[in-house]
Parts: sequence; structure tokens; C-alpha cells
Amino acid sequence: MPNAFLAISENYQFLRIKPKEGGLGTSTVLARDMDLHGYLNRTTFQTLKLSSTPTCSSSRFLSPSLHKTHKFPFPRLTTKALSTSSAAVQTSPTTTTISDDQGGKHQWKATIDFKWIKDNKETVAVNIKNRNSDANLEFILHLYDKLFILQKEVERVRGERNAVANKMKGKLEPSERQTLIEQGKNLKEGLTALEEDLAKLNDELQREAQCIPNMTHPDVPIGGEDSSTIRKTVGSSPKFSFPVKDHLQLGKELDLFDFDAAAEVSGSKFYYLKNEAVLLEMALLNWTLSEVMKRGFTPLTTPEIVRSSVVEKCGFQPRAKNTQVYSIDDSDQCLIGTAEIPVGGLHMDSILAESMLPLKYVAFSHCFRTEAGAAGTATRGLYRVHQFSKIEMFIFCRPEESDYYHEELIKIEEDMFSSLGLHFKTLDMASEDLGAPAYRKFDVEAWMPGLERFGEPH
Amino acid sequence: MPNAFLAISENYQFLRIKPKEGGLGTSTVLARDMDLHGYLNRTTFQTLKLSSTPTCSSSRFLSPSLHKTHKFPFPRLTTKALSTSSAAVQTSPTTTTISDDQGGKHQWKATIDFKWIKDNKETVAVNIKNRNSDANLEFILHLYDKLFILQKEVERVRGERNAVANKMKGKLEPSERQTLIEQGKNLKEGLTALEEDLAKLNDELQREAQCIPNMTHPDVPIGGEDSSTIRKTVGSSPKFSFPVKDHLQLGKELDLFDFDAAAEVSGSKFYYLKNEAVLLEMALLNWTLSEVMKRGFTPLTTPEIVRSSVVEKCGFQPRAKNTQVYSIDDSDQCLIGTAEIPVGGLHMDSILAESMLPLKYVAFSHCFRTEAGAAGTATRGLYRVHQFSKIEMFIFCRPEESDYYHEELIKIEEDMFSSLGLHFKTLDMASEDLGAPAYRKFDVEAWMPGLERFGEISSASNCTDYQSRRLGIRYRPSEVLVPGPKKSKGNLAPPQFVHTLNATACAVPRMIICLLENYQQEDGSVLIPEPLRPFMGGLDIITRKS
Repeated sequence: MPNAFLAISENYQFLRIKPKEGGLGTSTVLARDMDLHGYLNRTTFQTLKLSSTPTCSSSRFLSPSLHKTHKFPFPRLTTKALSTSSAAVQTSPTTTTISDDQGGKHQWKATIDFKWIKDNKETVAVNIKNRNSDANLEFILHLYDKLFILQKEVERVRGERNAVANKMKGKLEPSERQTLIEQGKNLKEGLTALEEDLAKLNDELQREAQCIPNMTHPDVPIGGEDSSTIRKTVGSSPKFSFPVKDHLQLGKELDLFDFDAAAEVSGSKFYYLKNEAVLLEMALLNWTLSEVMKRGFTPLTTPEIVRSSVVEKCGFQPRAKNTQVYSIDDSDQCLIGTAEIPVGGLHMDSILAESMLPLKYVAFSHCFRTEAGAAGTATRGLYRVHQFSKIEMFIFCRPEESDYYHEELIKIEEDMFSSLGLHFKTLDMASEDLGAPAYRKFDVEAWMPGLERFGEPH
Repeated sequence: MPNAFLAISENYQFLRIKPKEGGLGTSTVLARDMDLHGYLNRTTFQTLKLSSTPTCSSSRFLSPSLHKTHKFPFPRLTTKALSTSSAAVQTSPTTTTISDDQGGKHQWKATIDFKWIKDNKETVAVNIKNRNSDANLEFILHLYDKLFILQKEVERVRGERNAVANKMKGKLEPSERQTLIEQGKNLKEGLTALEEDLAKLNDELQREAQCIPNMTHPDVPIGGEDSSTIRKTVGSSPKFSFPVKDHLQLGKELDLFDFDAAAEVSGSKFYYLKNEAVLLEMALLNWTLSEVMKRGFTPLTTPEIVRSSVVEKCGFQPRAKNTQVYSIDDSDQCLIGTAEIPVGGLHMDSILAESMLPLKYVAFSHCFRTEAGAAGTATRGLYRVHQFSKIEMFIFCRPEESDYYHEELIKIEEDMFSSLGLHFKTLDMASEDLGAPAYRKFDVEAWMPGLERFGEISSASNCTDYQSRRLGIRYRPSEVLVPGPKKSKGNLAPPQFVHTLNATACAVPRMIICLLENYQQEDGSVLIPEPLRPFMGGLDIITRKS
């Protein structure tokens, strides 16, 4: 046996990275499509990213939870959307976020399938209600209709202006030419005004529409947290023949943490890990990475500072009151609360080759959460902290496969937690507890004898 | 062999953590001394914290360098300070930083030995010059003298006020009493005004004096970076029979990084590591932690968000223009640029038992640096990035031992880099390149064939008592000064400031550059050095994916 402190078992042979096609660093991407406008013109309207707007007051985004996965599953709109006629209004394509050199705040646009929403108004309304969302559907459809009309008007005026421009190409009397020049000028001014109105209306529509939550899987229980159902229970709570201590007391006696010094240096809910706790963290990270890599996931480390627009596009709200998101001073950047954000951003504004899918990543990062508004009982010790290490799995796949991969992901989690001998239950979260981006959400709650309950429900 | 990805070898038996005395989480601390005021009244004047002010324009603090240690070494003032007479002016004691609930900006004070500085003016002046520092010594001593005078005046007025108060205790005619009340009132107003002036003067003195850099080890070469001397050279640059690629090209061909996506998501100088690069990072972290733990260091993970005052006390300048430090919005908090900061802070405002020293920590953290003002050639790829993983060694020790531990730290680094087969040189950094906190600094530069030059991969600094005077870290020597029937605090020698040292055990991106560029093969693959292979599942080579 080697003299090293930590040795990898031969099983690692199994984990050799699968060959990637192509030679680029972004080899999984067929083309980086920065401007989807051309694409939209070409095909029927597709549902693309649905994200929550900064102004949404949906409490779901703000409730503290250690393992909140605000994922972006595509709603089962895709197959329907593919058949949408091209009469649908084209909203602005998703714009890339501004480059490093620019200073302004360019509001990005989500590619929302307004026509589908309009055609399925009742279903969408019921879903909004089931999820306890603030989205104002009537108003949104009203804005959409207004936009459609305004867009037509813009096109009409553009047409007139083009006609005038064409006339001016021919041979004309000076007075005729002068008249046309005047007309052209008026039309131009009118057009500019209309285009400004159109842009504003589009922004407003976006702001409102970004509040619309994702659709919901038919098997999801409707209601509040008490309606969540148990999919699976594994193990049983251990019986102790002596008084049970909680992790804080154990950590103190074994000299594993220091919360007091961290409170001086950083503030409450920060901590140092010491001694064997450091080894435990390294062991958990190494083992988990290995287990997930064995199942074909590509390992990643990610930036922990990201542009705030990327945070928003993933469904979080950096600017909301009581936001979970730390912002960097004098910058449009934030700290990530989960690796989901930079991994989702890895392929933003891209068109992937179908043969690349599914793309499965396992990402290691530190995560930072303000836990603002998270006062309450379960805030002692390590349960609720501002900074922690996390390994996250992320899948990009074809729409028809997402249910399958959802099952695969929860199975991986259950297998790992079983291996560690934990007693836990897997919940199918109820509609009011999903969070806007999630079509369906499974939470695992493990038995914590020191707290005398399962890990906190939402 | 167990089915786990990583198994602990029997050698771990060797690494069993030494039992800690006491049952507290902070068992190594004798007492947390939050208010030094009582202590100051009791003992002779001690040098208090010297810290660098936010307003210092010393370019040293601002020049970009991945391993700039802005330390607060104490000059070798400590032993001298103990014999300082009590006639010396007492500056305000170190204040703890404000609690979570308060909003105001409370300026903390460093425990600076003004008397020693005054008595050794020429030596200090020469040092300031050698280090190219902006500190204005004449002005500082002028303020110090003013402060002394003002303090005497305050004491005088207080005395008068006390006298008036005492007179009023006796039996008096109403008119006499009225006169005294008037006097008392005037004196009180005068005293308040004087005390305000005193506080302002003290703040100004602190701001200026915090610019004074640490003293310098006699063997440090005087001058700019060209004066740095080579202490040691290990290995030789590998000879390649084929055109050498740099780490960016190797990384692209082997699908190890993604800078482009990171530029979209986060901005320039950010990156994702992918595939074997992730395994390489984990291997470097695991192996380094293991190697350093074997040598008796206690492992730690640390907060990466800290109060800005702690950053300042360690010698960094979060508020300076072109600062290296990221600040958090709507908060007095910052992101750490190195684990040195939270580890130094671990024992702030404490008195340690001498028997606890030396305290040796090995800390793993992510580090964040703005690299503002770091435009230039060597900014490609992983060489200069905003975020990276680092393992840092940190020692708290008795003053007489810091030179010894400085040698120990550099030896550990050299042993590790040798094990990895790197070609490197260790430099004794010249006086203008030390950074205010460092008494002495050794940098290791490793050969990077792709860059065709040496690049800094680590830095080891002895900060003597510069940081500890700002962080308020002292120890109580165990010898008894005055033999007597009772062993009370009065018999023991007064607490002294510890010395602190820090050294980079592993800065992951720079190590990845070294490993990729030095171990590249003609076919574009990269060999993994022996010591890391067990930590990568026995993987001995990174190859191109077909």
C-alpha cells in the first residue's frame, strides 16, 4: 500500500473520463449562438428559458433551505410549442449579458411562449393558483395583446417609410422630392417614438411574465408543505441506550468546530472546521465526486462569483428584499448560493448538438447564502450557515428524457445516503413548495437524532 | 481494499490529532481579553498594535502579486518594550470590532510602541527608506509629542474637576456651593472638549503610525526586486525535444479548462476546471494537506467572508484604490484573498498559554482577488485569476522562535516542490519587495516552460509581531518574575505579543501550470508526478480524448 495519506482504490479505473468529441474547451457545444434572433426567424417558436423576475414577491424564492434546488426543467410545453404557428409574436431574443467593458444595465429577455400561454389560459391560471404565485395572468395577456398591436403598427410605419425611400430613388421634381423628404422625416420621428414604446412595453411584459411559474408534473400533490407525499423511506432511526448529544456538543467535545472565533472574525453563522472535521469534509467530497463520476458525470469546479443576470436567469432574485444572494460592492456580480448557477451558465446562449445530450456534470463549489429572514429554531450550529461546500449534479437533456433523469438523480442520491447508513425519507414536494423554476421536486430529509427530527422541511 | 475512491492508509495512525487540553472549542486560549484597558493600567506601557492605515499610499500594498503578504511584523521591539517605563503615554487599547448589531464604523487601534520608535528614530527612519514606504516619521513623532502633552492636560483638568467634586462633599455656604457648581460645570465642558481633541489626535496618530512598516531582518538585501538573492536552486529546466506548449494550449487540447464560458458567466480571469483537472486539484489539496499534517500542523477550513477590520489588521487595505480585496455590498465584510486572514483572526484579542505555542495550522480555503491594476503580460490563463484554491500554513510562536520556524516553513515548501519534481529557486526578497508586515520573506519561483520563465508559486513570511499587535494576540510567559509565597498574576511576566508566520503550501492554479507545462509529452499528454498518482486513483497520465 502506498505511503500516502489517502490512496485511491483500483475502482477508479472505472472512472476514466469518457472521450469528448471535438477539440474545443467547449467541446460539447455545436455553436455558440449569441443572438437567437436568426434562429427564431428560422423555426417555429420554441419555449426557451423561463425565469423568475426580480420583482416577483413569490415567497418561495426567499424561504431558507439548505438544499433548495431551483432547477430549470423545461415545462412540458416543448412538444406543444414545436407545433405553434409562426404567427406568434416574437419577443426579443435572449440577449447576452453585457461585456466587461460596458457599464449599463441591459435587461435580458426570457424566451416565453406567449401564444401557448394564451391558448392554454385556464391551465396556466390553475397552475399559478396551485403554486400560490403572484403572477398576474390577465394583465400579462393584456400586455401581450397590446404588444402585438403595437408591433403591427411599427411594421406598418416602417412599410410606409420604406415606400417613401423607394419613391425617392426615382427621378423627381424638386418639390416632389422635398415633400417626400418631409414625409420621410415625420415617419422617422413617429417610428422612433413607436419603437421606444414597443421596447418599454416589451420590458414591462417581460417583467410581468417572468413571474409565471413553471408548469407542474401531473403527479405532484397540490397544496402546501403538509401535502407533500413520501415516495420512499430508508432505514430506521437508531436506538440509543444513552442520552443523545447534538452535533454542536459533540463538535465541542471533540474539538471539531469553532463558531466563537468565527463570530468575531466574520459574524454569526460562520465557522471553522478543525481536525477530523476537515478530514471528514475532504472524505465526503472525494467519495461523493467519485461515486457520481462512476455514473458517468463529468467533474467540474466552477466560479463562485457570477454576474447577477445569470443568477436571475436561474430563478433566483439577487435584488429582492431578504434575498439569499450576496452581492459584490461596485459590481454587477454576486456570490453563488449553489453550483447550479455557474453550471447552468456554462452553456448559456448556445445550441448543442443532439448527440451531445445528455450532458451530465458533477460540480464542486463553495456556496454562500445570506440566510436573511431565516430566524428560528433550526439555526444552531452547522444547520444553517452562510458558507459551505457542496457537490451538485446537473443534467442538460432532451425534453422527453427529463422525467427519466429526474428519477436517475434521486436514485443516485438515495443510493449514496443508504451507503452512508442514514435513515431518511424522500418527499415529492407539493405544488406550493416547488419554487418557480421546478416542474417537480424531490427532497431528501435525513433523521438527525440531536435535533430529534428530520432535516427541516420548507 | 475498500471500494471507496480514497482510502486512508495506515500511515494515518501517525497523524492522529494531538489531544487538546480543556473542553472548550477554544481550548487553546487562556483568556479572551476583550478590553485591554484594565491590563494597561496594571502594567508598564506595552507596545500596542501597529496597523496600516487605509489611507497609506504605499505602492507596496497595491502592486499586484499573487502571494503578496501584507504582514504586520512587529519590530524586535517586544523585548525592549517590556522594560519601558510607565511614563510613556498610553494610547487607547485595542478595541474589538463592532458586533453584528451595531452599524457605526469604530476605528480599531494598533498597539504601537511609540516610545521605542522615538528612542530608535534613526534606525526606524533608515528602515522606512529601505522599504520605500510613505510613512512620515517626523510627523508621527510630532503627533506623538502633541498627544503626550494633551494627555497631561486632560489629566490636569480631570484632577481639578475631582478636586472641585471633593470640595463639594463638605459642608458649604450656599454661595460657595454655587461657585463650585459653576466651576465644576466649566471644567466638565472644558474636559469634554479636550477629550474629543485627544480622541481625534489619537485617531490621526494611529492612521499615520499604522503606515510604518515592520523592521527588517539584518540579512535581507537592501533594494528593489533585482536585489533579491537566491537562497537555493533545486532541479534544472527540463529539455524538450519537441515544441513546448503552454498550459492554456495543453488545457484546451485535453479539455481541462473553460475560460470562455466563465467569461460569459462571470467575467475575465474566471474559469471552470474540467475532467482530470478537477482530479488534479483534489489530488494536490489532499496530498498537500497530508504532507503538512504529517509535520504536526492542525488542519482547518476557514470562513471566506470576514469583517473588513480583520483584513486591515492583517496588513491589507480593502478601501484603497486598486485594492486586491472584494467587498460585500451593504456590509462591512470582504472576501479573503488568503486564508492567512481568517487564521490570524482565529486568535484575535486573546492571551494564549505559553505551553500552547507554537500553534501550527494548515488551512484550506478558496481565495478571491480583484487583481485590479494587474494588466500586463503574465495574465493569461491560470497565472492570474480572481478565484483559486489554496492551502496555507500559519504559525503563532514565541518571538525568539520565529526565525527558526521561518526556516522550517520554507523547508517544508522546498521538500514538497522537490517531491513533485519541479525546478525552482528560493529567493530572499529585497527590502522594497517585502510588503509592510513582513520582517523577512522567502518566495519560491518555479520554472514554467510554456511561459519561458520562472513564476511565483509560493511565499513564506515572518511577520514577527506586526499582525499580532493589530489582532491583539499575546501569550503569557510561564516563568515567575518575582518569587513569592503566592503565584498571582502580579508575579508572572506580563503577556507579550506572539510572532506570526505564514507560508503557501499549495496555490492550485500555479501548481497546475507547473505540472502541465513541465510534464507534457510529445503527443500532447501530461504525466502525473508519482506522489499525486495515489490521489488520482492511480492515474499516471492525462491523455487526449479521441
